[in-house]
Amino acid sequence: MPLVTRRTFLSALASAVPLTAIVSRAHAAAITDLAHDPATLVALGDAILPGELREGRRIAVASFQRWIDGYRAGAELEHGYGTSALTFAGPTPATRWMRQLDDLEAQARARHGQPFAALTIARRQALVRQALDAAHITSLGGTPGAQHVAQALLAHWYASSAAHDLCYQRQIGRQSCRPLAQQARKPLPLAGRDA
Amino acid sequence: MMRLGRPRVIESDICIIGSGISAAMVADKLARITNKSIVVVEAGDETVPLAQRYPSRQRLMDYGENPWGADHVDGHEVDGPLQSRSMQVGGLAMHWGGVTPRFSPEDFRTRALFGIGEDWPIAYDDLDPYYQEAEELIGVAGEQGPAAMDPRGRPFPMAPLPLTWNLSLLRNWASTSGIAMWSQPSAKNSRPYHGRSECCRNDSCSPVCPVGAKYSPDFTWNELRRRNRVTLYPRTLVRRLVLDARSRRIASATAVQRAPGGTRQTEVEFRARTFVVAAGYVWSSHLLLLSQSSRTPAGVANSSGLVGKFIGGHRNQQAFVELPLELFPGINGQHSLVTKQFMRTPPDSRYLRHDLRVWESGFGRGPRLRDDAGRTMLGDEILTDWRARTRTGVARLRAYYDVIPDRASGITLDATRRTAQGDPLPRLRLVDDPASAALRGYSNDALRSLFARMAAAGNGRVIHNEEDDGGFQDHPAGGCRMGSDPATSVTDAWGRTHDHDNLFVAGAPTCVSMSCANATLTFCALALRTAEAIARG
Repeated sequence: MPLVTRRTFLSALASAVPLTAIVSRAHAAAITDLAHDPATLVALGDAILPGELREGRRIAVASFQRWIDGYRAGAELEHGYGTSALTFAGPTPATRWMRQLDDLEAQARARHGQPFAALTIARRQALVRQALDAAHITSLGGTPGAQHVAQALLAHWYASSAAHDLCYQRQIGRQSCRPLAQQARKPLPLAGRDA
Repeated sequence: MMRLGRPRVIESDICIIGSGISAAMVADKLARITNKSIVVVEAGDETVPLAQRYPSRQRLMDYGENPWGADHVDGHEVDGPLQSRSMQVGGLAMHWGGVTPRFSPEDFRTRALFGIGEDWPIAYDDLDPYYQEAEELIGVAGEQGPAAMDPRGRPFPMAPLPLTWNLSLLRNWASTSGIAMWSQPSAKNSRPYHGRSECCRNDSCSPVCPVGAKYSPDFTWNELRRRNRVTLYPRTLVRRLVLDARSRRIASATAVQRAPGGTRQTEVEFRARTFVVAAGYVWSSHLLLLSQSSRTPAGVANSSGLVGKFIGGHRNQQAFVELPLELFPGINGQHSLVTKQFMRTPPDSRYLRHDLRVWESGFGRGPRLRDDAGRTMLGDEILTDWRARTRTGVARLRAYYDVIPDRASGITLDATRRTAQGDPLPRLRLVDDPASAALRGYSNDALRSLFARMAAAGNGRVIHNEEDDGGFQDHPAGGCRMGSDPATSVTDAWGRTHDHDNLFVAGAPTCVSMSCANATLTFCALALRTAEAIARG
């Protein structure tokens, strides 16, 4: 029988009784636990982010952790044109994503007798692929609405300016402050790559 | 002055209701050319200061949060396709895109030239000096197109935003179809201007420029308040305009003021020699309609019955075109090319007038989770797949075409939905004039054909077409249209209401038609003209 951790307990409680205080505490617990033990998330990043990133995968995972940390449930979202409707950020996804990391860990141990982080990349990918397919996840979408932690991590990194530059292999620097005059020039190649 | 049991009374020479870009133009000009005392009343709260816009923009980018905080008034909702819910000091132009084309000369004479719509009581040449004044006030960077299409009396105050690498390639592509395009005029600084910084391509102009390179009305309010030339009352909702007991003049505006951060309200009465309603295309008409009395049973300024009528905007047809060009989306995605080549309907054609814009785009080129076979990709696979799909470029084309509003197109008071104060909320319905409605299918077909021709000329292909769903019309205006005849218009050609000689309407509501291009610069020019009339007395 799996051990009922504080995180699991709070997460289940937050799902069952969505009182602000409980949800908030579950969010905080998830973040604290992730900060203390990021091994599964780091191993997930190594498995699903491009190998070309090398150490950049750890940076991407750390950035994703900061994103989770900064999430504000109930914040007013940008209201677009054409409607009076206001929308607000949903409940924290952190608790759900932490459960999914626990699930990956449990699957790794059950199938291979090893922690997720000790598996080969191919085995980790197989577990992730199975989880995404089982949840019928077909697109990257956006980070806040991601149904699975793997989808969230991918969405978070692929939305970044760094990912965009890596795709085009140019220093585009999308949505960052850059000299106006330089926009007339072809963006420079990334360091170490041919023009 | 606070009186026991009575509203607080605030007196001034001029009371401006609303603090958006039209209000800012009126106040700025009156502060420059008169010594009159000016009070500005805004229903929304203070805006986010410039120094806080970088972090608020970051929250927007990371989490989709509203970068303008709680920029709305609870309960102030509109049933219908409202342009924006935003209410704050500075109005909607706090989050506009800063795109500032002028209307074309033909826009003011569509009835005379093409037999459709209504002509304005003023011509383009009448407005040209006010366009120039507005461009200099807010700082517009632009280049003049061919003079026959794009006439103007004097040069732009700033050199154009330089074309990006992408836009240079796309301009060459457009020229293969015989279309002359140029840099879209924008209220974004191509050099430091009026103490504000040069644009540095943060590319989030709409909804928030974090460096102040894009003009927004808060800059005008900050300066006017610093010089004690206006007194601005935020969180203050004007509910009624009240007629003088012995004349047709407006005596006062009654309002409620919310305490900062709270819900406690106090009543305020604004008394002034002149009132200017500059609250945008919905709330201006709404206030006039609410101001009913035994002498004005249909509201003030409404003897024509046209307050709230003839509201509209324009629709667009949009396409994404794949081209064999080396494009890098993200260089400055909110900047575009524009042409006015299609503002005149040829004599032997059905009526269709439109602008045309071209942007860089990453449409259909984003990273994806599943490949064409439906297999989930992970690791290097997503990046490899993404690169393979970005070897060709994509352009976004959009053509706004004008929509002639029907008389029934506009707002009415909805007795079933009320504000927190118990006033009926507006219901907004946009209805095409029958002649305009009959042209809709033809317009969309013609524009799709144009896009296909352009794609073919560049050895490309249209990969996606989009059409407005019909409910929403962009850049809306009207509701208090100007005219020479009090029976068919609400204000005269200067924005003075026909019914009340000390009541003016400024900016968007006074438009007779809405052209097929962004209208904010035209609102500014009209507002500056209104300020001139107020100064004359």
